[in-house]
Amino acid sequence: MFTTLISAIAFGVVLASVIAIASMGFTIQFGLTNMLNLSYGGVMTASAFVAYLLVSHGVSAWYGLIVGGLAGSLMTLVLGRFVLRPYARRGAKLFEMMMVTLGLALVLDYGLQALSHDNIYQFTVLQSSPIHLGPIVITPTQVILAGLGLVVFVGLELLLRLTRIGKALRATAAEPTLARSCGIRTGRVVIVTWLLSGFLCGLAGVVYIINSQSVGYSTGELFLPLVIAAALLGGAGSPKGAVVSALLMGIVTQVVAAFGQPAYSTVAGFAVLVIVLLARPGVVAGSQGAEAQVTL
Amino acid sequence: MVAELIESEDLKNIVTSPETNPAASKIMLTARDVVVSYGGVAAVDGVSFEVRAGEALGLIGPNGAGKSSMLAALGGQAKVGKGSIVLDGHEISHLAAYKRARLGLVRTFQTTSEFSDMTTFENLVTAGNGYLGARLSSVVFHHRLNSKADKQIAVRAWEMLERFDMTEKANTYGRELSGGQRRLVEIMRCLMASPKVLLLDEPMVGVAPHLVEKLVGDLKSIRDEGIAIVIVEHALEVVRALSDKVVVMSFGKKIADATYDEIVHDQAVQDAYLG
Amino acid sequence: MGAWEFYITTLVVYFAIDVLSAFSLNLQFGFGGIINLSFIVFQAIGAYVAAAVTLGPDTGQNAFQTYIWGASLPFPLPLVLATVAGAALSLVVGLFGLRRMRKDYQAAVLLIVSLIAWEVAKSDVHLFNGSNGVTGIGRPLGTTLPLSSLGYQWVYVVWTLAICIAVYALVRWLSSSPWGRALRAMRDQEDATISLGINVTALRLQVFVIGGAIAGLSGGLLVEYIGAWSPGAWGYAETFVVFTAMFVGGIRNYKGVILGTLLVPIIFLELPRFLPPIGYPGLIDSVEWIVIGLMWMGSLYWRPQGLLPEKRNMVFPGEFGSVTGGGSKAGFSLASLLRKGQG
Repeated sequence: MFTTLISAIAFGVVLASVIAIASMGFTIQFGLTNMLNLSYGGVMTASAFVAYLLVSHGVSAWYGLIVGGLAGSLMTLVLGRFVLRPYARRGAKLFEMMMVTLGLALVLDYGLQALSHDNIYQFTVLQSSPIHLGPIVITPTQVILAGLGLVVFVGLELLLRLTRIGKALRATAAEPTLARSCGIRTGRVVIVTWLLSGFLCGLAGVVYIINSQSVGYSTGELFLPLVIAAALLGGAGSPKGAVVSALLMGIVTQVVAAFGQPAYSTVAGFAVLVIVLLARPGVVAGSQGAEAQVTL
Repeated sequence: MVAELIESEDLKNIVTSPETNPAASKIMLTARDVVVSYGGVAAVDGVSFEVRAGEALGLIGPNGAGKSSMLAALGGQAKVGKGSIVLDGHEISHLAAYKRARLGLVRTFQTTSEFSDMTTFENLVTAGNGYLGARLSSVVFHHRLNSKADKQIAVRAWEMLERFDMTEKANTYGRELSGGQRRLVEIMRCLMASPKVLLLDEPMVGVAPHLVEKLVGDLKSIRDEGIAIVIVEHALEVVRALSDKVVVMSFGKKIADATYDEIVHDQAVQDAYLG
Repeated sequence: MGAWEFYITTLVVYFAIDVLSAFSLNLQFGFGGIINLSFIVFQAIGAYVAAAVTLGPDTGQNAFQTYIWGASLPFPLPLVLATVAGAALSLVVGLFGLRRMRKDYQAAVLLIVSLIAWEVAKSDVHLFNGSNGVTGIGRPLGTTLPLSSLGYQWVYVVWTLAICIAVYALVRWLSSSPWGRALRAMRDQEDATISLGINVTALRLQVFVIGGAIAGLSGGLLVEYIGAWSPGAWGYAETFVVFTAMFVGGIRNYKGVILGTLLVPIIFLELPRFLPPIGYPGLIDSVEWIVIGLMWMGSLYWRPQGLLPEKRNMVFPGEFGSVTGGGSKAGFSLASLLRKGQG
């Protein structure tokens, strides 16, 4: 009982690292654009497939992480510039933007389904003999993945706090109009955000399949609710919040999986997002009808 | 045409007579020590005033003084932390916004809130149907009754269009109207709801300058019908023309409560504006 | 010839059921502004309930399927219960999911409700037999009517079309009533609608439950026709088909909604049956979903009002005098005064 709990928590921490990387990417994008981008999961899966293709051609999985991240950057930028921005330019409201990204998610997911012939592919790289830490049985790769989450978090915090572009990003996320009138080139900030959040999205996709050892077209979609929940729970635009809530989500879902039916771990993750959406203060529309605007 | 209709028996009772108002001195709305806070910061800090039927009160003050928050507290869009608001004898400070509206407190919004996918006429009948007519139960179970009410509403809506010179725009969608016309639709819609108190949040924003005078005239005639008006407005000439008295707010507090001519010479008010 | 007749009648039944779905969403989204991305769940519960109360009590001897609420109720009670189930589940979901919040958050909540319901129905064998679903559901009056199977097809066609027309009359009447006008007002300007004394919380819940009832009814009709129901039939993406049909045809225009249903779930999704097989099996399905996604995005971009846009409700001063002044006292309604005009 206690052993099950401890190892469930350990697996939860590993899963949390994956969620954290993805939701850090999601939260900086969401913090800037105010838009629930539901195509994020599709981009994750696509990047994971890119890494899978590389690795199956003999490239090291470590390069796969980098290339997957870059693929995520590129896709996010292209989709953001050439698909999402035209809608925003037409004055689409936030819920309309969400519906657009939902359509995009459908196109990406089923595009991947068509390309992957609707198969699930094994991805058993970087697997080595497990190590025993008391009651916990964990692989070195999982330890590395957990560490990677921490490294990404520290790197992102430093980037946002110390560099010029990071400060511009935070300023624009907080007050887009004010930032523009202060001479911050918001167009450039948006591009950087696409690239950065796309990189984290792609990286998370690869990390996810290293951890789960398989990749299929719906990999990202099923994972997305957890990512969004962590991002919203932690507060838009806050990597620290995303990490803390990712830890919570990871542990909750793994503990549910260990003690209940495995299928209910997904349900538990979904349920957390519903609760977060319903309960989080500040998500209620402004009383003066002043809804938040899209920044793109 | 409508004048003839009004002569008919069953319509007489719904026509309001604008001339004399016996309730002119009745207090319609009282705010006492109202406090509104957002996250610990008091946007409105103990403001009191009262408005009588047929009286217009101008609520002015520099940006961020808490005027809109005060209006939101009256209308039910913001939570009243402390204090009381009494509408024609009813304590309403903890009532939901739609219940306040049912008691006769109707408001406009800073950004125009006409129903953009409805025609002007539909905008008016929506308000005329009111909450009773729009109830699912009354639609389903009181069909015959509604058909009589519908007729009265249609006549009133058309009268309203004639009164404000908008009959030509009866079939125009809200989104196709000019800024001034949207304001007018909003105000007509409020009147269709037969209010006791009308809250106006910067009604002149987006109105073409040459129409401001006409709109002020319209508001005066509404006031003279016995409706109490509270108006938040930056254009002071509008406040001057319309208001019987003026409340000045600064940093959430009331700093003056007098007629317009008195407050322009008030040192505290001048200090507040010059900051 | 018989095979064709069978196929065409089947399509007409599907069409009528899809039109019902579109009416439900048109009321909820078109008029009420609720982005109900969990629509398919309410159709599914209707289907499951109708199936369970037709199949007979679950004795445990039928080991290949387990389900709750087993009974064998006579026609038309399964349909009635399907409608009630749709309404009841809508009430439950609506009570927590329709709180006043950002519209995109609300849509996300409803989408996830759809995912959760699907996962639960798929994993819990004791509810409705898990991922295998329930099967062997008899057709209503299938044994009592002395008909050939083709004859029965035509009876079912008439039956579904009759229900469809009745629901059309209902939603049309509701949407042109003062209640329908309040819905449109709420969709556009919630604060202003509240300021007219209208309780938007109740209004939103009402339209959600009425739409849910129609969805449940459509699910019941569907399962009584096809005789089986499983999670494979109601993935969250099925909701998008109904939305896309509505976008393509024209939101709030009933002719448009019907046209869109004819174009998207019937013609577009049926045509590939006649194509020679391309690529690996399942490729055509994937491509269909991609095109649904593209149509959804395209209609949001180019013609948000659809092929047949909503018509303007016109009032004419001349007629106005004669209608309101005339002798027809009881028959007057605003709906009769307002005529459909151009665009």
